[in-house]
Amino acid sequence: MGIIRFRRSFGVAVAAAAFLAAFLVLSLDAAGPEVEWMVTDNPTGHTGGRLAVALRSEPKTLNPVLAEDETSREVINCLTADLIHINRGSQKIEPALAKSWSISRDGRQYTLQLRRGVKFSDGQPFDADDVIFSFQVYLDEKVDSPQRDLLVVGGKPIVVEKMDAYTVRFQLAQPYAAAERLFDSVAMLPRHLLESAYQKNKFSDTWNISTAAAQYAGLGPFRLKEYVPGQRIALERNPYYWKQDHKGVRLPYADEIDFLFVPSEDAQVIRFQAGDTDILSRFSADNFSVLQTQQSARGYQVRDLGPGLEYNFLFFNLNEVSAKDLPEVARKQAWFQDVKFRQAVSAAIDREGIIRLVYGGRATPLWGHVTPGNKLWGDAQIPHPQKSLDHAKELLKSAGFSWKQDGSLADSHGSPVEFSILVSSSNTQRTKMATIIQEDLAGLGMKVHVAALEFGAVVSRLTKTHDYEAAIMGLASGDADPTPEMNVWLSSGETHLWHPKQARPATPWEAEIDGLMQQQLITLDYPKRKRLYDKVQEIIAQNLPIICLASPNILVAAKNRVGNFQPAILDSYTLWNVEQIYLQ
Amino acid sequence: MTPRRKLQMALLALGCFHGFVLFAGFFAPYDFSAQDREHSYAAPTRLHFVDAQGHFHLRPFVCGGATEADDLAGNLSDGTSIYAVHFLVRGAPYKIAGIIPARLRLFGVAEPGRVFLIGTDGYGRDQLSRFLYGGQISLLAGLLAAFLAVSLGAVIGALAGFYGGWVDESLMRVAELFLASPWLYLLFAVRAALPLHVPEWQIFILLVGVLGFLGWARPARLVRGVVLSAKERNFVVAARGFGASDTHILRRHVLPQTYGLLLTQVALLVPHYILAEVTLSFLGLGVGEPVPSWGSLLSQLQQYFVLASYWWMFLPALLLVPLFLAYYAIANALQELFQPVTL
Amino acid sequence: MKYFARRIVHTALLLLAISFLCFALVQISPSDYFDAMRLNPRISSQTIDHIRTAYGMDRPLVVRYGRWLHSTFQGEMGISLAYNVPVWPLLRVRAQNTLLLTGTSTFLAWLIAIPLGIWSAEKRGTHGDRLVGLATSAILAVPDLLVYLALLLLAVRTGWFPTGGMESLGSAGMSTWGRMGDTVRHLVLPAMGLAVVALPVLLRHVRSAMVDALESPFVCAARGHGIPRRRLIYRYALPAAVNPLVTLVGLSVAAMLSTSLLAEVILSWPGMGPLLLEAIFSRDVYIVTGAVMLSSMFLMAGNLLADFLIFVNDPRIRVE
Repeated sequence: MGIIRFRRSFGVAVAAAAFLAAFLVLSLDAAGPEVEWMVTDNPTGHTGGRLAVALRSEPKTLNPVLAEDETSREVINCLTADLIHINRGSQKIEPALAKSWSISRDGRQYTLQLRRGVKFSDGQPFDADDVIFSFQVYLDEKVDSPQRDLLVVGGKPIVVEKMDAYTVRFQLAQPYAAAERLFDSVAMLPRHLLESAYQKNKFSDTWNISTAAAQYAGLGPFRLKEYVPGQRIALERNPYYWKQDHKGVRLPYADEIDFLFVPSEDAQVIRFQAGDTDILSRFSADNFSVLQTQQSARGYQVRDLGPGLEYNFLFFNLNEVSAKDLPEVARKQAWFQDVKFRQAVSAAIDREGIIRLVYGGRATPLWGHVTPGNKLWGDAQIPHPQKSLDHAKELLKSAGFSWKQDGSLADSHGSPVEFSILVSSSNTQRTKMATIIQEDLAGLGMKVHVAALEFGAVVSRLTKTHDYEAAIMGLASGDADPTPEMNVWLSSGETHLWHPKQARPATPWEAEIDGLMQQQLITLDYPKRKRLYDKVQEIIAQNLPIICLASPNILVAAKNRVGNFQPAILDSYTLWNVEQIYLQ
Repeated sequence: MTPRRKLQMALLALGCFHGFVLFAGFFAPYDFSAQDREHSYAAPTRLHFVDAQGHFHLRPFVCGGATEADDLAGNLSDGTSIYAVHFLVRGAPYKIAGIIPARLRLFGVAEPGRVFLIGTDGYGRDQLSRFLYGGQISLLAGLLAAFLAVSLGAVIGALAGFYGGWVDESLMRVAELFLASPWLYLLFAVRAALPLHVPEWQIFILLVGVLGFLGWARPARLVRGVVLSAKERNFVVAARGFGASDTHILRRHVLPQTYGLLLTQVALLVPHYILAEVTLSFLGLGVGEPVPSWGSLLSQLQQYFVLASYWWMFLPALLLVPLFLAYYAIANALQELFQPVTL
Repeated sequence: MKYFARRIVHTALLLLAISFLCFALVQISPSDYFDAMRLNPRISSQTIDHIRTAYGMDRPLVVRYGRWLHSTFQGEMGISLAYNVPVWPLLRVRAQNTLLLTGTSTFLAWLIAIPLGIWSAEKRGTHGDRLVGLATSAILAVPDLLVYLALLLLAVRTGWFPTGGMESLGSAGMSTWGRMGDTVRHLVLPAMGLAVVALPVLLRHVRSAMVDALESPFVCAARGHGIPRRRLIYRYALPAAVNPLVTLVGLSVAAMLSTSLLAEVILSWPGMGPLLLEAIFSRDVYIVTGAVMLSSMFLMAGNLLADFLIFVNDPRIRVE
């Protein structure tokens, strides 16, 4: 009896061992090649916990190819990954899904080595076929991706070739200085989930907000868990994420992120104070003072990161308007087109007053469009003159203007100088700036109206009818590199706001800027590029097509329990290192 | 107190208020656009009667003035400069009713003193002056819109109620259409179509006029209700029997019965349209800078930091409450006097 | 009965007219949804034009209206330009949330207005009535915005109420009862805000209707006959006062999808308000049209209900 029992249990043990061995072998096989980890150097944290963040509105889509608005991109950044990534903290590039790459001698070929063993969040493997598919979708004209135009170099879309399962080669039509930065935010898509829809021309319907979580897979630190319309979107940890910290712990640290939809900034501040959310991103200076006073009591910390990349500016209508259609504007352009007039206006503006009154002191005055927040491209040579009404008056006098008895300014024909500044009424900061400038220019005898129109009307006037005199706008570059903003500085550019889409450059200095910008595009050597771009900035400071005013500081806050909180001045300001954030 | 007495008192209060607003230039110590950038969000200036040595002065004074370091709202201490409040002073020039130039102001302090009785806003502009000047625009807008809405509503409602039948039905359906449609876009379109150099306050009055013009539906329904029963009254039937024309009956017999309702509606709608301004400002259609209006003063309160840190920004809202109470008191008194049919 | 059948037909026609008016109105205001992209230096105008064509925005107004009608009859109500999904499912979820809020607040408002109005009418002329009248006028004079902000401030300072949203973060793990309780906790603040804002007008009308009824001859006669106070109010005066109140109920229903926009934005309630506001500013025309259609349907249903209730309640009107 005992022997039979022994034999039976022995048999069971052997069978179990064989089963286990087979299982191990099979699972090892299914795992494919070993994961080539990306190791991060951040301070280590412990895993677990749930992070709550507020979003100003609901994401419009979860499809990285179609997303254009900030909120959608914030969520998508947590769900997807790119080949080469710009580290928001250092503003320099680093490897991501591509572990290394080489550049050909002529600067037109980039060969990328992909990380092996990486899997999508649903467990399917990632390889070069996914890369080819992703670029095919991004470049397809029928899909109309807002990012497509960035991937067109020298008039031709970049060409992708598969060399082997983990190597891809990119071909550019001309050498391109910022080529590596092209890859940032071009998310790699899962071919196994999206190819069939793409073949059927139904790609634009995929991955919208009503997509089930199981249909979604990405390479980011988190994956979609649940979407409750109108309230929140919940993301859970991606068990297959390919980054680990230097102690070998797989990232991300947090178990879950909840994005709550809170429509107004004030409600966001209140909910943060009440403890509903852990991180508060980008709020106004006024709320900063309120939050600052209660920091220690309520257990959070506010941070002023200094200026971001946004620049606000005043500009005049320098379009060629026909005197028949817009007689008033055409008449006043005689003043606007005189560089001394623009220089006088710039000299009369109280930038310090703007900083103090509009931004509560939390902004930086600007005399050029490259803000101090841009570590690599600012030109230190540009002069920063203080407000001087005397200097402004001298300039106006030498330009043929004179003052009447009652102090009002008149041009050489004797007509009073009077114009309007167009702003979007929904942007309170720019409306305030316009009001301050109105008072400042009254000191020169100019009569200025502030025309605050609703945003759609402003866009219509600026881009279509050109029926405006002066306007205040702001642009926020998404990247420190000058190339993505080419369309603002090229005279043929569509966002060359003061005089877009010129057939030939209207002024010699605009022609010079065109030449310099085209040259810096193909110059691969950074010091040479910097010299070219410095010259561009100097020409702009001299001719003042835009009169730069101020750049708001980036203000963020986080609860003390949020570890590795390292906000940056590029988007996404607080969550760019979301995989390294942990909760104490 | 009889309704008539209540009406008289309310009208008196209203008259005083409107008087303050009409002569805003006289009652306000500063011009509405004068920015004092050193004193942004300054708390209300304290009026002192007793100085640092303990002497009592009949004439009130303020301490501090031009620089930020001076604490306008704070206590007195030895060494701070004091500025007496003078009455009937020569201040910044203004125009009575926009026509007659004048410089006499009720009170003021010598430079570099400042007297901000209810504090300043983000640009350092005196809130009291802005409140008084703002009343000119807001009251004009409110009265204009209310009159337009009620006049148009009266005509349409009377026609609908009097003729009945398909006229009534179609007009009431159109009224529902007007109540339901998003006229906001029409306002956007009107605003965008206007040239840029029309003065802001004129554009604003135009927008409010459009708003009032579009608001005839509710008064029309009420008037229709009254007319429906009014036209069955004995004397109206008798007049008809005597061969009076429709116009005559409407004008002499039916419409007079609605006067009570109409006046009540006006009294109720004026505050409504004054508050509608706040929504217009919220949507970007408010009166432009630097012209103040009650709506723009109130819309500053939308921001949390204002509520949390600068309590004196509430004061203009509180100053409005007695005004609205006066209007509602008039409406109540009128209702009691005329006893109209409700709804 | 024929009258009501006719009214329903009129209502359908009116809804059609409103939807067309929506289209026309959005069209005349300058710029459309895609123009916001024109100020982005990274997107070429070619791409923007392609996208516009893909959504059919370059077709004439009538053609677009026809396609929208077709889509509505298929249950979709057009495609949102921002979200790229059919409009009706988007609106439905949020409309349910809004109705939950406004239904609760309307119920609350009436719950307070009726007894308070009756008491006020009974005690008319006394100090108590005058106090109520003063409080009512004061609330009327305060802009809604301030009421909601004050409530928000209250929530923050005291911590008694959640500061926004409809559910707490951990609600998925609760039992059904727990979840309901959680929703109720979140409902308190916005519902109170809306009820406070709606109360003055209701109270005023209840009071005036009751005063009319209490001063009418037959009630005086009944009082003279010695009928006790409670019976007098609830069996004699109230039924007579119900007529105008019934219309008000209809109007309350009518307003249910339109009054809560501001409250939802400030108190972060996930209803139609925030969606509609964003759609209005960005010119997402199909969402705006869909939302306006929904509120109009409620408006007309409310009016129809009011007329129907009067018809049922008041025999005099039936005779006409």
